[in-house]
Amino acid sequence: MDTPLREPTFLILTALAGAPLHGYGLIREVAALSDGRVTLRPGTLYGALDRLVDAGLVDVDREEVVDGRLRRYYCLSPVGDATLAAETERLRRNVEAATARLRERAHAARPATPRAAGGLA
Amino acid sequence: MTDLERRYLRLLLAYPTGYRRSRGAEIVGTYLDLAAPGRRWPSLADAADLLRGGLRQRLRAAGAPDLIPGVRLAAVLAFLTATTFAAAWSVLELRPPPAVFGVPSAGPFVSLGIGAWIAWLLAAVVYALAPGRWARRAVALALLLTLGLVPAAPLVGLPRPPLFVLLPQVALGLVALGLPDALPAPLRAAPLVAVGVVALAGTNVHLLSPAVFGGSYYVTSAVPVLPGAAVALLAVAVLLAAGLALRADSRGVWAALILLTPIGLLALQPLAGAIDGVGHTVAVWSELAATAVVIGVVGPALLPLALALRRRPTRSPRLTPR
Repeated sequence: MDTPLREPTFLILTALAGAPLHGYGLIREVAALSDGRVTLRPGTLYGALDRLVDAGLVDVDREEVVDGRLRRYYCLSPVGDATLAAETERLRRNVEAATARLRERAHAARPATPRAAGGLA
Repeated sequence: MTDLERRYLRLLLAYPTGYRRSRGAEIVGTYLDLAAPGRRWPSLADAADLLRGGLRQRLRAAGAPDLIPGVRLAAVLAFLTATTFAAAWSVLELRPPPAVFGVPSAGPFVSLGIGAWIAWLLAAVVYALAPGRWARRAVALALLLTLGLVPAAPLVGLPRPPLFVLLPQVALGLVALGLPDALPAPLRAAPLVAVGVVALAGTNVHLLSPAVFGGSYYVTSAVPVLPGAAVALLAVAVLLAAGLALRADSRGVWAALILLTPIGLLALQPLAGAIDGVGHTVAVWSELAATAVVIGVVGPALLPLALALRRRPTRSPRLTPR
């Protein structure tokens, strides 16, 4: 699997890091994790899951039939766990670097506080 | 079985049979879980999602998962080439033949072509501001206007750009319809930058005599531009394909294969000249027409041929619990 991970892939792996989920649960979890910004449709989701299963990042956990509908639960594999951890670490370093730079920039832009001239006689 | 379920199952026919067998119930079940109560028809977005997913699976089954990214890459290159040409032809259009020559013109312009070229330039602006659906619509409009020049010119009795200019533009436009939804800003700006460079060069065009550049698309400085662009586009496509192939990424190969048709049409003059066996670089009309037909048939046929050669037995996803 190519790194850096694309955002939908990252969110799917993050959703599965919590607990095994079926397709519908994954779509809802990805939407919740992204504050509704990323809404996966089933055609797109299962295409992504196929790639992740092929790459060994995701495994099929179990199957259930609920109200006559097949539900297949997916979970993070050990390789998926390691990939998500490495990607999270990469993103964390980027965030830290950007935060530090922004803090320095804000500090440099702040007008110098004028010192009280003179003093008590 | 509800009407909605039956309709989703019908849309599922977009997927290969083996895949439908292993995944179909799960995909439809997820759609039904997501559907609002009382819904009877899949939405247009659902239908598009299933058709896209089906196409992707069929390509995957055919051993060409990189084809769609290849179409996107070819579209970006084709659009950049098409807009650069539109800018160059716009400069030429602004130099109508002097009245003393008695050559027909479209008022202050060389021909009706200016309308289509402006549509291409506007498409470059749309592409920079709103890539994706709006950019594809702008390309479709420019493409229709380019095609419309052929019937419009005799109707209004005004000249149009010659077919050896319009044909490659139409081929580039058809490829550009596959422009992707999201692109980095430098790539979105590239066509506008190219247009700007050509416009800048156009400000100095008054230094050239209209006989060298202007008055007509048949001037000796304009005709070789097309084969020159064919060589440049081919070189870029081959280098990209080789560079990406080193990273086991075959989308460059697909892009090069897709671009072969517009490249062939850009090189129509020398190709027709070479085919006639006499070695003349300027071919006669019948040779040009025959060569264009051969390129128009062989070029697009290369893609299904390559797919057929790469076809592998369908592999269903590994969907058994651990």
